[in-house]
Amino acid sequence: MLDVFAQTGAAGFEQFLLLGLVMGSLYALIALGYTMVYGIIELINFAHGDLFMLGGFLAWQLAWTLGVRTLDASSTGAVVGAVALMLVTAPLACAALNVATDRVIYRPLRSAPKLTVIVSAIGVSFVFMNVGSLWLGTSPVKFPDLVPDANLVTAAGVRFTWKDLMVVGVTVPTMVALTLFVKFTPLGKAMRATAQNPTAAKLMGINVDRVIAVTFAIGGSLAGVAAVVNGLYNKSVHYQMGFQNGLYAFTAAVLGGIGNIPGAVLGGLVIGVVGELSKAYLGTKWSEAVVFTILIVILVFRPSGLLGARTREKV
Amino acid sequence: MSLLRYWPPVLFAALAAYPFLPVADVIRGQQFTILFVYAILALALNVVLGYTGLLHLGMAAYFGIGAYTVGILSVPFFPFQQSFVVSALAGVLAAAAVGVATTAPVLRLRGDYLALVTLGFGLIVQYLIRNLDPITEGTKGLNPIEPGPVPGFAGTDMSAARLNSDWGTKWYDYPYLYFVALGLLVLTTLFLRNLERSRLGRAWVALREDELAATCMGLNPARLKIAAIAVGAGLAGLAGALYALALHTTGNPSFYDFNLSMIMVCCVILGGLGNRSGVLLGVLLLMGFDRIAVNILDNEIQDALGSSAKEYMKVSAWKLMIFGVVLILMMRFRPEGLLPEARVRRELHDADAKAG
Amino acid sequence: MDRRKFLTVAGGGVGAAAMLATGGCGKKENTIVIASSLPRTGSAKGQTDTIVNGIKLAIDEYGEIAGMKLQHRDMDDATTGGMWDAGKEADNAREAAADKNVVAFIGPYNSGAAKVSMPLLNEAGLLQVSPAATWPGLTKKVPGDEKSGEPDIYRKSGKVTFCRVCPTDFVQGPLSAVFAKDVLNAKKVYILDDKELYGAGIAGLFEKKCKELGIEVLGHQSIDPKQPNFKTLMDQIAGLQPDLIYFGGTSQSGGPQIAIDMKGQGLKCPLMVPDGCYEEAFITGAGADVVNGRCYATIGGKDPSELTGAGAEFVKKYKDKYGTSPEAYAVYGYESAKVVLEALKKIGTKDREAIRKAVVETKDFDKGALGKWSFDADGDTTLKVLTISKVEAGAFKPVKSITE
Repeated sequence: MLDVFAQTGAAGFEQFLLLGLVMGSLYALIALGYTMVYGIIELINFAHGDLFMLGGFLAWQLAWTLGVRTLDASSTGAVVGAVALMLVTAPLACAALNVATDRVIYRPLRSAPKLTVIVSAIGVSFVFMNVGSLWLGTSPVKFPDLVPDANLVTAAGVRFTWKDLMVVGVTVPTMVALTLFVKFTPLGKAMRATAQNPTAAKLMGINVDRVIAVTFAIGGSLAGVAAVVNGLYNKSVHYQMGFQNGLYAFTAAVLGGIGNIPGAVLGGLVIGVVGELSKAYLGTKWSEAVVFTILIVILVFRPSGLLGARTREKV
Repeated sequence: MSLLRYWPPVLFAALAAYPFLPVADVIRGQQFTILFVYAILALALNVVLGYTGLLHLGMAAYFGIGAYTVGILSVPFFPFQQSFVVSALAGVLAAAAVGVATTAPVLRLRGDYLALVTLGFGLIVQYLIRNLDPITEGTKGLNPIEPGPVPGFAGTDMSAARLNSDWGTKWYDYPYLYFVALGLLVLTTLFLRNLERSRLGRAWVALREDELAATCMGLNPARLKIAAIAVGAGLAGLAGALYALALHTTGNPSFYDFNLSMIMVCCVILGGLGNRSGVLLGVLLLMGFDRIAVNILDNEIQDALGSSAKEYMKVSAWKLMIFGVVLILMMRFRPEGLLPEARVRRELHDADAKAG
Repeated sequence: MDRRKFLTVAGGGVGAAAMLATGGCGKKENTIVIASSLPRTGSAKGQTDTIVNGIKLAIDEYGEIAGMKLQHRDMDDATTGGMWDAGKEADNAREAAADKNVVAFIGPYNSGAAKVSMPLLNEAGLLQVSPAATWPGLTKKVPGDEKSGEPDIYRKSGKVTFCRVCPTDFVQGPLSAVFAKDVLNAKKVYILDDKELYGAGIAGLFEKKCKELGIEVLGHQSIDPKQPNFKTLMDQIAGLQPDLIYFGGTSQSGGPQIAIDMKGQGLKCPLMVPDGCYEEAFITGAGADVVNGRCYATIGGKDPSELTGAGAEFVKKYKDKYGTSPEAYAVYGYESAKVVLEALKKIGTKDREAIRKAVVETKDFDKGALGKWSFDADGDTTLKVLTISKVEAGAFKPVKSITE
């Protein structure tokens, strides 16, 4: 028999929807890094997920070195301090690494065909993964459990914990800040200009290389934030986790319309919700197949993604 | 120039002679058989990626479809038990049909959207293989795959043809399967050579170079792309069929995953996008390193160091790093691949001249 | 310029080909090689490290036999992706079979991989001893299985070439259910597995026994180990209020994450896992605070801390050499090598058939760490003990041993 249909217990639709939205905002955060880089240099950055993984490892290393390993064994001050330190260090390190990678590896290839750059990115992804496996080994490693699991909602049937609050509390302001930055600051405008037409932007006196570096820095730091939030939320890091999360994030970016910032957020949320609902009603083993089937169906009807502009091919 | 153009026939001749040479080694022969399979798969990807420029990230799915079709049609516990020729043909047709059926609706997607759809398609196929136990046996794999070679000839015994004691006794053993795989590889190469020069092949290149201009000249892009997918998927199915036969099992479903598709993309680009000889070289180097050289080096290191060999002294611990660095350096200093297609080389050269 | 570049490439290629063709440099005549084929890259590396440590320890005890130097060849059957791979396993088996210095093949780790290498080695007549592949069908017909043709499809030559020192899942799955009923008083269980041959196999045997014993099975679901978490699943299971969750799988296929999410989603019932999770990596992966006092792991045979006599000596030697206590798999690695080496010592030549015969017919073997045991006619160990340990203070503490 095909045991396609999993049983459902007492937890209901609202609960799965909530979990999906929380997971989705995490995917969205990673997807933003993909989509911004793509928007500017049309590169599918296959190494982005692995950058996220290295960020998670760094955060783990920090907490471990500081000795803040469990909630019960550490004072509240130490926990808040450690989390704050992680939220500063990991994004900075990821941003630096991302910018350095761009400077050394992608920048000399600016005029090269797209495939060349994609293959370089795959190469970078291999290197990062090997670094990860040499760093923390190949088994999953427990990430310090520093945010309580206590339920914050009294309504029956739904659990909304401190952890969920943390994810939402970090991701939503980050995404709002990013949108405002791109919309209203001069640098943001320069980014949009470069994305639209690099040559024209250059002619207008925009330092394109600097804009690209800033884009990689922002994308990297978002991956770093996502890595910390992911570590605290899922409580586990693994050298291959970049692949799975990167895949979902890439999918989210494309689903929303690659290069489109609100699109990436929407795409992330859709994937999170579809993923969790399919786990609940069809069983976890089918979840990924369902996510990608829905993705393909959506793209058949909206070939440029949910929010992607219907651009005509340039002649 | 002549050297460049004629090395594949020389290589094929040398490989065909290999089992008769005194240095012949069963293990290497069997490993080469698998390399030939990968070479066919890479050539299949080259049709899609090199000729028409579609970034296809799900070739492993067609490979899997070929392997599982042969599995289903050969294993003793299903009522089919077809010969290899029949089941391989079915595998080719099934892969091509699935390729056309799944690609046709999404062809109007632009480059990177299409890439993601093919990636997603590859993952879906992999999950279907993994989860549809009654048909695919899930993670157990379909085995044993030991069919007869052609319809009406169930006998698999080759004892009469053995030239020395290293040679196997069944037709799917070394070196008979080695010759079959090599023969199919040569046929594939010849087929693609003629295809490249045909109307269809030239139309593909026109499409890759400038879709709009090609359309204006009266070419139908959708039909051309579907033809490329059909040929590529069919060849990948053939490679899968051979793979299942060589292993006598379909193995673990996780083998047919995104990693395989990605490595194949790397082989094609590293060797020389669009150029058959380049693709062959890319496969021989990358897969040869992954599947043969790493093992040899590790064994040598262990034999040399004895039990004091540490984990990090082994090549396998650094394999991904080596892969990654090679890809990065190649793309930086020789983006056109080891043996580029003439047209691509000219293009890049022009770009250099312009930039300089 | 193009031609020069081409010649460089071609020259390199020919050089590499020449090296491949001759198989590296000449093999030394005066060595005996024990090969092992395990997933040495990727996620199972932690466990295979301990197995290899066990093998090396055993080999070091002998050093040389009949004037021939002993050597261990550590082969990897995983690929770049990190999972075991049928092609690599087949290559390893053939490579070992072709090298006349190899007298035994230890491995593989995964039962799925065993399906690939077993027929090849059987044909070559090379002895294979697995320290970890526990799927029963490799050696015996699984009741109710009418179509696969196991185990005869692995024994084309008619001889038994495969044996294993670890008890099969026939022991582990059912006895775990007995423990769940007798000791944990479980009335309702929920069963999960990772869908691999090993995990799904053992979970299926557990489920069958549960039904026989009258334990209600609330559900049985396969997970996708690659998912970042199982919160939704745990929320669902929490609603069913089981007394126990059983997970058939390893610490690399989702075991730790299940433990983490059970606690996170407020499930209070214990978790029970098979020997694929019986390792340090499971506890470090889930966090000691998560699994302490609420997680039971089972292992065929004895926990290393309970070993006596030669076993205790092994534990001590292992600690001296590697600085850590041996894990369960280290014992199996050691035992596999030991049973081969003892036979080798008796025979004193590289005669594969004699060694195979001697090992397969091993009776009342007590030179290793596991106590006295024999191989039955199918190459399975007669050791039918299951030890159930509870995680306490970040370590496995044996609670009970059950014999079939």
